[in-house]
Amino acid sequence: MIVNPELYEEGSACIDPSHMQYQALQEDGYSQTMVQNCNSTNFSMDDQQQMLSYPQQDAAAAAAAAAANMELEINQQMGLDLENCYNPNNNGEPHLMQDQNHQPSWETHQVLNFNHYQQIQEMQHNSNNNCSLENTANQYPQTPDLLNLFHLPNCSSSVLPNSSITFTNPTHKSGFFGDLPNTQDTTVGSSSVLYDPMFHLNLPPPPPIFRDLFQSNFPHGYNFSGTRNGALFDGMEDTEGNGEFDAGVLEFSRDLNCLGKGKGGKDVKHFATEKQRRVHLNGKYAVLKNLVPISTKPDRASVVGDAIDYIKELQRTVNELQILVEKKRYSRERLRRHMTEDESVLEVESKNMMKPQGDSDQAYNGNALRSSWLQRKSKNTEVDVRIIDDEVTIKLVQQKRINSLLFVSKVLDELQLDLQHVAGGLIGDFYSFLFNTKICEGSSVYASAIANKLIDVVDREYAASQPTSSY
Amino acid sequence: MGIGSRHSDDQDSEFKSPNLMAERKRRKKLGSRLLELRALMTKPAIITDAISYIHELKSHVQELSDEILSMEATSNEHEQKMEMSEVGSAQEMENWGIEPEVKVSKIDSNKLWVKLLFQKTRGGLITTIFEAMNVLGFVPIDMSAITSKGAVLITSHIEDGMQATEKIKELLLEIVTTY
Repeated sequence: MIVNPELYEEGSACIDPSHMQYQALQEDGYSQTMVQNCNSTNFSMDDQQQMLSYPQQDAAAAAAAAAANMELEINQQMGLDLENCYNPNNNGEPHLMQDQNHQPSWETHQVLNFNHYQQIQEMQHNSNNNCSLENTANQYPQTPDLLNLFHLPNCSSSVLPNSSITFTNPTHKSGFFGDLPNTQDTTVGSSSVLYDPMFHLNLPPPPPIFRDLFQSNFPHGYNFSGTRNGALFDGMEDTEGNGEFDAGVLEFSRDLNCLGKGKGGKDVKHFATEKQRRVHLNGKYAVLKNLVPISTKPDRASVVGDAIDYIKELQRTVNELQILVEKKRYSRERLRRHMTEDESVLEVESKNMMKPQGDSDQAYNGNALRSSWLQRKSKNTEVDVRIIDDEVTIKLVQQKRINSLLFVSKVLDELQLDLQHVAGGLIGDFYSFLFNTKICEGSSVYASAIANKLIDVVDREYAASQPTSSY
Repeated sequence: MGIGSRHSDDQDSEFKSPNLMAERKRRKKLGSRLLELRALMTKPAIITDAISYIHELKSHVQELSDEILSMEATSNEHEQKMEMSEVGSAQEMENWGIEPEVKVSKIDSNKLWVKLLFQKTRGGLITTIFEAMNVLGFVPIDMSAITSKGAVLITSHIEDGMQATEKIKELLLEIVTTY
C-alpha cells in the first residue's frame, strides 16, 4: 500500500522528526528493505509478516509510516517496558527499552516477528543493520519510563537521546551514547534506538543475541516461540559480546543527532525544507483565516471549522441567489406578457407556465422554496438572518447599550422589508431583538446583503455614539 | 426511452435493468473513487483547495448578485404592490373596528409603559415612531410590535422619568394620526 508521505508531513510534533528522519534515511540510501520495514510497521504484526515478503516497496511509503509508527512505537514500548521489568533472566545484562525513532528500529520490530524470522533473517542480510537493542540495568523504574514514553511523541525535535531514551541505570557507562557508533555495525550509517516489541512475550534475550543481531543473525535472537528460543540461544554462543552489551548499545540515527544539534551537512538541508514546508503550511492557514469572516478561536482546528461553516454558508448563498435570479427572470417574463396581453389571458398563461415546459428548471424554480441562513458577527454585534421563501427572520444581539432599534428599522425600510413583528429588549448589558419581516414582492434582497448591511449600520452607529456614550 | 420501458414485457425489462444496474454500479464506482481521492489528499493540498474553492464561491456570489442588481434596476413592479397593500390595511382596520390609540402610563419612578395602536402603512411609520421615541430620549427596556388586521400594536417599557406622560401621549398620537 502506498501512502502519501505528505499526509504525515505536518500537524503534529511527533511526526515531524520521524518524517524528516525518514527522508534522511531515504536519502542516505538505506536499503529498500529497511524502508519497507518502516513502512510495514504501520500495520499490525500480522500485516507486517506479509509486508516482509515484499522487500521492494516504495521508499516514500516508509515516511508515511512515521506517523502511525510513533503511536505504535509508544504502545510497543510500553509493552516492552513492562516486559523488561518482569524479565527475570537478564543475565546481568541491563535491559534498556528505548523507543525507536527511525526506520532502522522498525526493522527490528519485524525481525522480532516470530512467524517470519527467517524472512527477517534474509532481510537482515540484505539491509543495513543499524538497529540495536539496548539493555540496561535490571532495576528499571517502570513508571518514569512510561511517562517518558508518553512524552515522546510530543517532542518534535526532542527525539533526542535525552528525552527519548529511557535509561534505567544511569550508572552504566557514561559513554553510553558515545559508545554506540563504535559498537555497532559500522555498515549502518545511522540507526535509531529501537526496542523489541516482542519482549513482552517473556523470552529472555541473552546478550549474544544482540551480537548476532548486528551480525545479521538478528532474527535468531528474537524468535519468540518457546522451543525456538532455546535453539536460538544455543546457537548463539557468544561470550565476548557481553561486555559490549553491558554498556548497552545505543545508536542514534545520524538524523536524530543532527536534529538535536541542528548541524550536519546534509541533514541541515532536510531541516530547512521541513521548516520551509511548515512555514508554508502555516501561511496557508493564515490565508484561510483571513478569508473567513467569522473566526472564533485562533487555533488551527477552529480556523478549519470556521472555514467549513463559511463554505457551507457560501453554498447556501449561491443557491439562494440562483433561485432569486430564476424567479426574477420568471416574473420578468410574466410582466412582459402582462403588458402585452389581457389579464384573463395572462392568468391562463401563467398557469401554463407553472407546468414543466421541457425546461424542467423553470417549473422547479416556480415551486422552489427559497431558503437561506447565515450569521455575521462583529465586535459588538451579532446578526442572524434566516430567509424562508419571502419571510426574513432577523435576530440581533448587541453587546453594548445602544438603542439600535431605530437604525435597524431604517435599514429594513431601505431594503424593502416589511416589518411584521418585533420583540426584544434590554437584558443586562445586551440588547437582543427579533425581527420578523416580509420581503416586498419584487425585491431581490438576499441574506448576505441584509446581514452585512445591518452589521455595518449598527457598528457605525456604535462608533458614532462612542464619544457621547449616553445611550 | 424511459417511458417506453414501462410497456415492455418482462424480458424487455430484464434486458434493460442490467443496463441500469451497470450504470448504477459505474456511478457508485466513480463516487467511491472520488471519495478515496479526496481522502488521499495531503494536508496542504486540502487547505489550498479550500482556499481556491472559497474564492470561487465568493466570485460566484458576486457575479449572481451583480446580475440581480442589474435586473432589479430595470424592474419597477414593486411600487405598484406597495400602494395596493396600504389601501388594504386601512380597509381591514375599519372592518375590524380598530381605532388608532395611544396610551402612556407611569409605572415606576423612571419607567413608562407605552401602548400604540395605529394603521400599518408602508413607508416606515414604525420607523418614525421609533425615531420619535429616540428623540424623546426613551430607552426601551423591552419592546414588542405586532402586526395584525392591518394595524400595528406596539407595547413597550421605557426608561425615562422626566417627561410628563400627557405630553408624550399627545405627541405620539399626533404622529400616528397625521402620518
